[in-house]
Amino acid sequence: MKMIRAFIRPEKEQEVVLALEGAGFSSLTKMPVFGRGKQKGLQVGPVHYDELPKMLIMMVVNDGDVTKVVNLMMDKSRTGFVGDGKIFISPVEATYTVRTGEAVL
Amino acid sequence: MKEITAVIRRDKLQETKKVLEELGFPSVSIQSVDGRGKQRGMVCDNDLDPDLPDKFCTSVKLTPTPSTYAIEHALPKVALFVPKRMLTMVVPDDLVTKIVKSIISVNKTGKTGDGKIFVLPIEDAVRVRTGETGGEAIA
Repeated sequence: MKMIRAFIRPEKEQEVVLALEGAGFSSLTKMPVFGRGKQKGLQVGPVHYDELPKMLIMMVVNDGDVTKVVNLMMDKSRTGFVGDGKIFISPVEATYTVRTGEAVL
Repeated sequence: MKEITAVIRRDKLQETKKVLEELGFPSVSIQSVDGRGKQRGMVCDNDLDPDLPDKFCTSVKLTPTPSTYAIEHALPKVALFVPKRMLTMVVPDDLVTKIVKSIISVNKTGKTGDGKIFVLPIEDAVRVRTGETGGEAIA
C-alpha cells in the first residue's frame, strides 16, 4: 500500500474528489494547509504573499492503483501555471479498519 | 520507528488520549480534518433512502459544504465530507501493535465511520531542543 499526499489548489478540490470517486477511489482525507514552493510565494504588485492556501488530499491506495490515482489527480488539478502543487508518495506498512479491527484497506 | 496515523471520530478524541496516556505514550499531534470513505461521506441513513423519516436518522445530517460550488462549476454533484480528527504519532517499533490495538478498542462502535489507522515507516527523528536523533528523540 502507498500513501499519496497531494497538495492541490483549493478551488480544484471538488473536481479532483469527484473524478476520483468516479474512478472508484472514494476514500480520502483532506485538510487545508498553507505553504510555498520554488517561487517563494506570490508577488502581486507591491504585496508579497509568503504562504499560499492549498488543500492537502491524503489517501492510501493499493500499489497497483498508484499510477492511476496520480494521473487522475494531475489531470484534474493542472492549470499550467505555477502553484498547481505537488504529489508525494510514501510506503504504508499496515492499515487497520477501526470498525472491524481487521488489517485491511 | 513507525508513524501511526489514525483518523477517528471527533467525540472519541478524549478517550483515545486518555488510553494513550495510560500506555505511557502521551505525545501525539492532533488535527481537524475532513474525510470520506466507502460511503462517500453520507453519514445519514435517509441519505441513502430519502423516504426514511428523520427520526430514524442515526447521526447528524450534514449539509453539503460548498453547496453553490457544484452549480457554479457545472459539476454533477457535491462531494460530501465528514469532519474527523487525525492523530499522528511516531513510536518505537515494538509499541506499534499495542498502540494500534488500544486505539481500535477505544474507537470501535461497529458502525461505519469509525476510521482508519495507517502505519508508516519513519527513517529518523530529531528533538529540536537538544539535537538528539533516533530513538532518544521520541523516548
